[in-house]
Amino acid sequence: MSIRPGVVVTGIGMVTSIGAGRREFWNALMAGTCGFGPVQSFDTSQFGVHLGAEIHGFKPEEYVQKLDPHSIGRSSQLAIAAARLALTDGSLDLAEIDPDRAGVCAGTTSGEPHYIERFDDRYVLDELKMVGREFITRYPCHVVPGHTAMELGLSGETMMIPTACAAGNYAIAHASDLLRAGKADIMLAGGADSFSRITYTGFARLGAIAPEVCQPFDRNRKGMVPGEGAAMLLLELKEHAVARGARIYCEVAGYGLSCDAHHMTAAHPQGEGAARAIRMALEQSGFAPEDVDYISAHGTGTSTNDRLETIAVKKTFGQHAYKVPISSIKSMLGHTMGAASAIEAAVCALTITEGRIPPTANWKDQDPECDLDYVPNVARKHNVRIAMNNAYAFGGNNSSVIFAECAA
Amino acid sequence: MGVISSLGDSPASLHSALCNGQASAYEFHEPKLDGFRGRGSGRIIAFQAETYLKGRNLRPLDRTGQLVVAAAKLALEDSRWPPERLAQHPAGLVLGTMFGSVHTIAQFDRRSLEQGPACASPMDFANTVINAAAGQTAIWHNLRGINSTIASGSASGLAALGYASDLIRYSVQTAVLAGGVDEFCFESFYGFERAGMLHACDVPEPFPVPFQAGRTGFAVGEAAGLLMLEEWTSAEARGARILGEMRGHGSTYSPGEGQEHAVRSIARAMTEALKDASMSPRDVSCISASANGSVRADSDEALAIKSLLNGGGPEVPVTAIKSMIGETLGASGALQAIDLVETLRNGTLPGIRGLEQKDPALPELNFCRKQSPIHGNSGLINSISLDGVACSLLISAPPALA
Repeated sequence: MSIRPGVVVTGIGMVTSIGAGRREFWNALMAGTCGFGPVQSFDTSQFGVHLGAEIHGFKPEEYVQKLDPHSIGRSSQLAIAAARLALTDGSLDLAEIDPDRAGVCAGTTSGEPHYIERFDDRYVLDELKMVGREFITRYPCHVVPGHTAMELGLSGETMMIPTACAAGNYAIAHASDLLRAGKADIMLAGGADSFSRITYTGFARLGAIAPEVCQPFDRNRKGMVPGEGAAMLLLELKEHAVARGARIYCEVAGYGLSCDAHHMTAAHPQGEGAARAIRMALEQSGFAPEDVDYISAHGTGTSTNDRLETIAVKKTFGQHAYKVPISSIKSMLGHTMGAASAIEAAVCALTITEGRIPPTANWKDQDPECDLDYVPNVARKHNVRIAMNNAYAFGGNNSSVIFAECAA
Repeated sequence: MGVISSLGDSPASLHSALCNGQASAYEFHEPKLDGFRGRGSGRIIAFQAETYLKGRNLRPLDRTGQLVVAAAKLALEDSRWPPERLAQHPAGLVLGTMFGSVHTIAQFDRRSLEQGPACASPMDFANTVINAAAGQTAIWHNLRGINSTIASGSASGLAALGYASDLIRYSVQTAVLAGGVDEFCFESFYGFERAGMLHACDVPEPFPVPFQAGRTGFAVGEAAGLLMLEEWTSAEARGARILGEMRGHGSTYSPGEGQEHAVRSIARAMTEALKDASMSPRDVSCISASANGSVRADSDEALAIKSLLNGGGPEVPVTAIKSMIGETLGASGALQAIDLVETLRNGTLPGIRGLEQKDPALPELNFCRKQSPIHGNSGLINSISLDGVACSLLISAPPALA
């Protein structure tokens, strides 16, 4: 075990297409609920695919209390909602903390894409003069953690790490370093992305969007389903959490980050970078592959990702790869981009406290190249002491974060 | 160190231009908008990626990617990290950026809007993610270590340097190329203009002057700057030429409205940096300010510097290189760091170009109006975003020079 100062998870909050808040989300996840449907936020009639995992019925005013909810973008609204849910879940009263020693670190793929999309609408309609102050003050992606800190009155380090689909893991890794370095007492770390026309267009052009259903690791998988969401983890030093009598979900035991330096949108053909990230995470947290009880897969449902992720797990886990259960919640939530690994990190924490692991939904036929235990279709009782969260991104960004049961 | 800027493509040429008070102002016209004009600075008019990146296919790179790949090449050469060494020792890359390429993102979207989604380019889509330039640079130069992108608005470059320093201190990474980038493009320029943040076109001074009375805003520019940061002992072990030491950094956020919150936040970033470095304000020989001609932010920073020095005297010289290079957004903190390393090596601090009439509402500081010798071996950099992020970083000359 690590002798470094322990960083623990004491609160969890998320907003997803299958539910908001720990209890609602977890119950939906265990039931194998899928959040897919025809895209409603923009017209997809010119596209060959129409499936998305949007959040319906989200009411920002229920969470955004200090700021005007309509003066900020949807990703900020989702992030604030997740942050408030995490604080409530962690029973943390903001009046009792030093705001200078509390910060927000978030990940994202697109930040607040709706503002540039509106800019472009006006550009093509020759209405650019209608662009106002809001574009530059609400669009840049760093406003997402900024708005969260402003809403909550936090004045410690506030940072956005826009490492695309692996960003949540990067944010959690950095926040845990910050806490270990003694630069903060608490950090809200996670990710947020709102449903984006630009992202949808891009994945549609790559032929990566599933037409009907997301089936990670299935032989006939046809792609991912773009989604939206946010999750925040309340992180603090173990001694800080113990001192305030907080319930502790687990410890952030270590992380591994690496870069393929191979291709912008395709992973390394032998999973080289992903394997290096896994090894680094194991090494940093002081665990052997055999210690890992559950892997939350990146598992997008694209042919390439799922095959290469399987290769990387086999490469690093050896024979244990066939024994450790692996599941992809993207089979239910779709791919929530920068939020995905933050939501999946929350899932890792919950598997440790709940003793159950979520399924990979919509799995039907085994792919000879994906022959591990993907927890098909039904949630499973399983004692999880150590969980690993994998996430990969455009740009060849690889990440693995390990969460471990926290000894009293 | 590697830099691509309007005032030079080497740390020495940039520093020399800044010391000589050079600046590159221009006026910007957009045919799409009848009668629209705006003022900028620090635009790299003549940038040709081929000059730096010969013999490879440049097509996958957008302008932001080209700027970073070129700056990385210069930094790897300057720090003597040949491809053979990179193959053996995975180096990391931490890139600060405010926008990634908002121009690439917008063009991708507009093409789909105007011609249908089937006409949107998959290759362009790869560059629409904000971490695209970091990914492209990693591919180009085989940087397989930790690869991260940091967005903290115009403080992104300095935030990236702080983040990278901590990766070396607290993680296993021993070498990280770190800095920042932002390109000049219509989308960001027009956004700043519509928000009334840019230097006005109807004043005689073609260039914004930080801390000046009657300043009206900043001039947006572009650049890329990267520094190779290495763990001290491993740098020594490979016989590296050590140019400076990252001593400490601080990063804060101002969640409240009103000047007192902003001033306190900036002062706290500086204090945190000093604490991280185990140094006191007396150890600071010069300050490279974030000031760029913004009405409010320049004032916040001046008051914060005054409060840090506790009214104890005007002796620490304060410069603001954005008086010449413009506001290069995500690159700005990296350019300040590169120039501070040169300043500490040469003992000459650039002045604030054009500062003749200090804003009378600002406190008395030792504003450096023309290039001046500095005494001591440590400098402080501030980088402040337009919306609440404040970062400070302390750099010292290496002991041999000190």
